[in-house]
Amino acid sequence: MSAKPNTERDLLVFSIWAVLGFGGLAFLLEGFTRDSYLISLLGIALIVAAFVAHIIVNGLFHQGFGPGETALGIGSFGVLIFTFIAGVLSGGMSMVDYYAGLTLFAVLTVGFIAYLSTRHGLRGAFSRFHVKTAVSEDSGR
Amino acid sequence: MTDAGNLIWLPLYGLFYIAVMLFWTRVAARENHNHETYFSAGHTLSPWIAAITIAGASLSGWFLLGGTAEISARGFSQPAILQAGIILALPGVLFFKRMWFVGQRLRLSSQPELFRSYFDSDFLVVVSTAVAVLFAVGFAGLQLRALSEIIAALSGGMISQLVVSVFLGAVLFAYVGIGGMRAIGYFGVIQTVLALTGVVGLAGVALVGSGGFAALNEGLQTLAQSPDGTGLFLVAGVIEFSAGLGRDAVVGHSETALTSFGIALAFMGFQASPLAAKIILSTRNANGFAAGQTWVMAGVVGGIIAFGIAIIGAAGLINPQLSLGGMLAQLQAESPWFMAWLFLGVIAGVQLLAGLALLTAGESLVRHVYKPYFHSGLSRLATVNLTRIVIALLTLGSVLMQSLTPVTLSALGALALPLSFQLWTPLLGITWLRWITKSAAATGVGFGIAGVLLTEPLGYQILSFLGLELPWGRWPWTIHSAAWGMAANLVAVLIISAITNRNAFGEEAQEARRFLQSTLRVRSRARALSSTAWSVVLVWGFLAIGPGLVFGNFAFGAINEAGGAWLVGMPSIWAWTLLFWALGVGLVWFLSYKMEMASPYVLEIPAYEPPRKLNRDRSSAERERSRTLVVTGAIAFVLIVLVTFSFGG
Repeated sequence: MSAKPNTERDLLVFSIWAVLGFGGLAFLLEGFTRDSYLISLLGIALIVAAFVAHIIVNGLFHQGFGPGETALGIGSFGVLIFTFIAGVLSGGMSMVDYYAGLTLFAVLTVGFIAYLSTRHGLRGAFSRFHVKTAVSEDSGR
Repeated sequence: MTDAGNLIWLPLYGLFYIAVMLFWTRVAARENHNHETYFSAGHTLSPWIAAITIAGASLSGWFLLGGTAEISARGFSQPAILQAGIILALPGVLFFKRMWFVGQRLRLSSQPELFRSYFDSDFLVVVSTAVAVLFAVGFAGLQLRALSEIIAALSGGMISQLVVSVFLGAVLFAYVGIGGMRAIGYFGVIQTVLALTGVVGLAGVALVGSGGFAALNEGLQTLAQSPDGTGLFLVAGVIEFSAGLGRDAVVGHSETALTSFGIALAFMGFQASPLAAKIILSTRNANGFAAGQTWVMAGVVGGIIAFGIAIIGAAGLINPQLSLGGMLAQLQAESPWFMAWLFLGVIAGVQLLAGLALLTAGESLVRHVYKPYFHSGLSRLATVNLTRIVIALLTLGSVLMQSLTPVTLSALGALALPLSFQLWTPLLGITWLRWITKSAAATGVGFGIAGVLLTEPLGYQILSFLGLELPWGRWPWTIHSAAWGMAANLVAVLIISAITNRNAFGEEAQEARRFLQSTLRVRSRARALSSTAWSVVLVWGFLAIGPGLVFGNFAFGAINEAGGAWLVGMPSIWAWTLLFWALGVGLVWFLSYKMEMASPYVLEIPAYEPPRKLNRDRSSAERERSRTLVVTGAIAFVLIVLVTFSFGG
């Protein structure tokens, strides 16, 4: 049995996130600790680079994000937002931390919309969230 | 952040590592159908996976743990360490493609099988197995011990070294025992990427800690002008006729050009080891060897060693607080997330080598020693399960030795590379030099082993224990044991090949020779370049790792107590090494592609079908052998006890 293309794609994705994802996280945390917007920005850039590399690998293997990956991505995004809001409400955040966090979420959101639009088109991107019911499918339109 | 807060990051990243390991082990086990393709991944590993895994296993943790420590202690007096990327790539270019072709034709999956099929030599099978065990228990065990000590130190004494060793051993067994070769290949890619990132990241931290590259070199310059510092940036001549370490003092320091050459030969042992053969023979096709050796090994790994390892070592040379241990402790206090991420890379590199070594050793002991001699009726499932048990026992043995007998472990670990290098002659016989006969290959390896043992601590300590004091110590004449062993090996091979029948080979060997000659015939363009290739290799070897290293002492300027300057702002010997690393990448490319020694070759290889033979019932002979083994073991044990009581202490 030969190694399936999926396995090779998954290996590349794991490797990308092990380097760029964890590296980005480390720089982001370093930026928060040192109150340095530049270091945080470097972390954000690495995370964006991880996404870009992930999308390139998807393209090479003619695949999209898997259901597990989507769930993990959206889940992580939710946890990050929750942590950020909790940080803001607790009052322990500096302005640099605040702007670094906003930059991260803005970049991720814009990137997400840009990805969907380029992959599925503007109308198609919206349709990704539109639940097609049995009735609408049977309507014959 | 509090100390307790800092401590959470390494376990947290460790949990991610284990989760990823379990994921890939599960994938591998499912694709293996539990035991069907456990040993060789069904020969389906992608060429790029094989290339990356070999690079990671070759790099292992040694260069980061041992290489940086050597530079921090002895400076740049052993330039062969920094040339390792090229040194490791050259044997790959020489052997891998032809070894894969022979393996594919005869449907072989490991080095002992290769030796048994080609030379029909039980001795070579046992030596190959012993080398795998030395790598698994000694070489990898030493690195795991170093890791355990660092982790125990980072925990501030909360966790003992033994507990860490047991934990790392359990993680190792989990993925090797369950997923086999496929898990090593798949997880090996991620481990390699993490290991390379770890080296690059730590080099970056060392640079930041030193104040930048220019400041680092200024520090080295200041050190070179100090009374004891000059020697740290010089190769101490070509050779020094001393009696060896531990016996005789040398003038200046003992790192001569021939020491570097010997170390380079020892590094070359890795690519001739059963570990490298295991990956090669599990690969789907031969299309990735050239790219793997040229760009991954010589280019990326070579560059990371020549720059990254050198920077980390140099930082530790100037400021001991920036040595690997000190740097990790500092990172733990200030940026624990960075420390956890980068240190995970070190752990991953060591575990990759240890996992591969354990699988190879377990398989060799069960499939190539126990099964053919003592229990040929063992089913495939039973063979896999027994291998898993042996892997568990080897892991346990290594863990215990790490804590209880570190000196013995060190002595055993030091033997792995030089002994593995002795396997060059039989591999050359299989792949290139058809005139090396079966008796010559086996006797040569025997002489090589003797040469290594007599110039390493284990050998002369055993003889000393028995009352025979050798007049020399470790590495006499400042020449590494790998070179002494190979000298004896080559002499024996040349003499015995000259006096024995060169056509006395079995059917499978004859087939392998016919097959290589008919399929891998070198084209006329490459043949025309062969004299150029020889010249270039010899010149590179002479200047980059041989006696010509002494020119590197002053080629880019010299600094001593009286003053002077380095023309390129960095130590002359380091600049020399970087120059020959860059030239070395070109050399590896030339040999791989232009000389077609590792170039891609698309060919559907049908399996060789040997003439059918009657299967005799061997159970009574095997029972007899088992009895003999038990009796011999018991007698040996009694003799050892008696000798210990008589001469020991």
